[in-house]
Amino acid sequence: MKKAIGKCLVVVMTSIFLFSCSKSTTTVVAPLTATTVNDLPADTIVGITPQGQPFGAGKFTFYSLEKNAIVANTDSASTKWDLAFNGTKILTNSGNSGSGLGGAFIQIGLFDELKTISSDSVFKTDNGPSSYAVTFGSGRGWYTYDPIKNLVTPLAGRVLVVRTASGKYAKVEIIAYYKGGATLAATAPDAEKITKQRYYTFRYIFQPNGTKNF
Amino acid sequence: MDCYDLCASMKKRASYIIIAFILFNYTNAKAQMNFSKDSLGIYSDTVFVTANKSERQVKNISVPISMISGKSIVQAGNTRLADVLREQTGITMTSGFGAGVQLQGLNPDYTIILIDGEPLIGRTAGVLDLNRIAVGNIKKIEIVKGPSSSLYGSEAMAGVINIITDKKNADALAANIRYGSYNTKDGNVSITKRLNKLKAQTFYNYYSTDGFSVRPNSNNRFITPISRSTFTQNIQYKLTDKTSIDGSIRYNTENIKSIIAVANNGTTIYSNGNENNNDLNGSIVVNHRFSDKIKTKLNSYYTQFESKQDLLTVSGNPYNDLFQQNFKRIEDQTEWKINSSLNSIVGFGWITEKVNSSRYDNIDSAKTNNIQYAFNQWEWNNGKKWVANAGFRYDKNQNFASAFSPKFSILYKANTQLRFKLSAGRGFKAPDFRQLYLNFTNAAAGSYSVFGAVEAQKVINRLMDLGQIGNLFSNFYQLKKLEPEYATGIHVSAEWEPNSNNEIQVQFFRNDINNLIDVQQVGNYISGSQIYSYLNIKNAFTTGFEIETKQKFTKGWTSAVGYQFLITGDKDQIASINNGTVYTKNENGTSRLLRLNDYVGLPNTSKHRLQAKLNYENTKGFYANIRAIYRSKWAVANTNGNEVYDNGDQFGNGYLTVNFSMGKPIKKGWAVQAGIDNINNYMDGLNLPNLAGRTFYMTLKYSTQK
Repeated sequence: MKKAIGKCLVVVMTSIFLFSCSKSTTTVVAPLTATTVNDLPADTIVGITPQGQPFGAGKFTFYSLEKNAIVANTDSASTKWDLAFNGTKILTNSGNSGSGLGGAFIQIGLFDELKTISSDSVFKTDNGPSSYAVTFGSGRGWYTYDPIKNLVTPLAGRVLVVRTASGKYAKVEIIAYYKGGATLAATAPDAEKITKQRYYTFRYIFQPNGTKNF
Repeated sequence: MDCYDLCASMKKRASYIIIAFILFNYTNAKAQMNFSKDSLGIYSDTVFVTANKSERQVKNISVPISMISGKSIVQAGNTRLADVLREQTGITMTSGFGAGVQLQGLNPDYTIILIDGEPLIGRTAGVLDLNRIAVGNIKKIEIVKGPSSSLYGSEAMAGVINIITDKKNADALAANIRYGSYNTKDGNVSITKRLNKLKAQTFYNYYSTDGFSVRPNSNNRFITPISRSTFTQNIQYKLTDKTSIDGSIRYNTENIKSIIAVANNGTTIYSNGNENNNDLNGSIVVNHRFSDKIKTKLNSYYTQFESKQDLLTVSGNPYNDLFQQNFKRIEDQTEWKINSSLNSIVGFGWITEKVNSSRYDNIDSAKTNNIQYAFNQWEWNNGKKWVANAGFRYDKNQNFASAFSPKFSILYKANTQLRFKLSAGRGFKAPDFRQLYLNFTNAAAGSYSVFGAVEAQKVINRLMDLGQIGNLFSNFYQLKKLEPEYATGIHVSAEWEPNSNNEIQVQFFRNDINNLIDVQQVGNYISGSQIYSYLNIKNAFTTGFEIETKQKFTKGWTSAVGYQFLITGDKDQIASINNGTVYTKNENGTSRLLRLNDYVGLPNTSKHRLQAKLNYENTKGFYANIRAIYRSKWAVANTNGNEVYDNGDQFGNGYLTVNFSMGKPIKKGWAVQAGIDNINNYMDGLNLPNLAGRTFYMTLKYSTQK
């Protein structure tokens, strides 16, 4: 009983202290809000081979999380971009993909619950074609591909923890791989599955202050 | 099938028929009683063979059973076994690789299908297509629910469905023809002839349909053009009062034509397909009675199944698939009546199975398995209130671990109206040849491969040496000799017959399945395509209850209602959900934690199923019946980025179908019948490809017996 009262007192005291503290400071840090990128094309389909394989133009789409903008392909060798997209493949500006300080790993969990990147996390860098920071392949990285339904579905509960080209941190959740921001129904016509694929919708939070906290 | 094959198979058929003619038999006349009473008949003297592998009166059976009379099948206008079972409580017909039977939530792999006690083979992906079985000559269908491997071995994990053919006692000729929507034709002829100690019966069925299509000009017909013929010959000869010989042969052939659309990364290639399935069963049974107390049955059985698929793509590329399986068994079963209340059955046998398939490494290298087994069952019946059974079976397998299957059941007759049953048993299903030996790469869809557990490590290591393997998952190193899948089932039921006009039966069931074999990704090719194999990894359960009632009203009206409530689940998935490691997608595409109440359990299982039937029959033989079947929604595909089935996945919608039929005798053995199946014209081409739209039919029948 005595102990409980003691605990209560500590709580009350602490809250009074915190309350007064927040009142006295004037620098209120605005919470970071998530940015959503809709229908980012990622080497969309331009034709179908005689063997029936749809193909794109073979180009990556480079994206700057810091600026929330597409980076021109002519700047592919720069540190202006953080992520590059081509089909289901996602590059980071790191290793043999770029000259930046980038890197990434995939964390199993929820986007909103990732408040701090744990200090012992290891950021992987790209070493294509054998390995990429954002692991490539169905069921291994951020998506699963069903060959029968011919559909790419983002895995639930996967957060791409990204180190940007400038060495800052961001977290990304892929929402859809199809135009319109939603995975197509399994019953959608084949033609729609071809023309609407390779459009990314994702949300992210970029921490500009260089810390690992979101 | 070209001429050469046809001639060869005709020859083969002919030689079997001759063999069948040489060996003869007699059946126990007692069993030929009238089964027309469409009733649970819990206190009836009706004979039931499947529960004890020996004839017992229904009122003395201690395990949950149900029985479908030949008369009710005829009056419902059903022509295929799948149509019959679809209308029974606790049974759901699944689509995909034909119409399979799901008993108390367990997949088609886990129910053994017998014709006159002999198992049918020829499963595709675990499914035995019950459209293959014509029901024109059936006396009754017996169903035992709950693990029954203690008598039947592998596959009898969810239960046993035994089709008892009608072996008439007197000379008879019966024939009928039926014509219906989608140019569906069905004809049966059956002849029974008695000559002193010899009795011969012949049955022939022909069925064909043009199939139907929801979109009239579409290539994708729901039921594709099919023709089937079934021929059955049975000969019985009574050597002496003590010895009889029974020879049976059944041959079924079906031909399915289809235009198959294969989607290859989004491009659809149409192929003209032709599928030919043949199955042949033959048995010779010698029954001998040593004394009033001891009798034995020596049974040799052979069955084979062959499935041939030829596809020709529009561009002219052929695709051929061949699957051949045969099964030989010799079994002896001796029954010893020790005293008036104690009875023992001892049996042992030997099975050799052989499979050749173009989906395995090499069509010419046959895969074989040998099984030796023995079973023993004790039955105690004091002739009053209690009946108890205890038994076990042991199966020693060449290719996988041995299986021990005990079973115990007890019946308590509280009074003349009320009875209770309790049974517990263990069932198993042997890994099938596909799970052991498959070697399949789907070039048409993404070039993924599936390798059977026996070959997987060898094949993948070889691919590794060739530098084709990108990476291997940790479960690749866990690949080992597969073990049988096990189920432990507990059934508790109460049967109440308050008066001769009402019956009610309530049954609770729980099946725990361990060691489930599941296909798992074990690695990737360099190209990123998946490599799968089979592992014993899953643990699941199905549980629920069934209620069946029957009522008799005045003036020839009767009704029957059956309901099943079913809950299923994968135990490991439930544990993961409880541990908070399973996620799902919100509607907007963001992730959230999956809650247990979002979880729906095993795919293809429906929580509710309801059957209701209203029947009228007058003294002149006119009858009419209306049957309604409802099934609630079921999960069909995982679409929201996790590996469990939850509310965010793709479902088949709950649906209702209503069937109607009526008929009357005209005169001098002639009768007519007409009916409408699926009156409400419910169709779902995607999830229920076997469900035809509204179908009208008319049948003309002739029989020398009344």
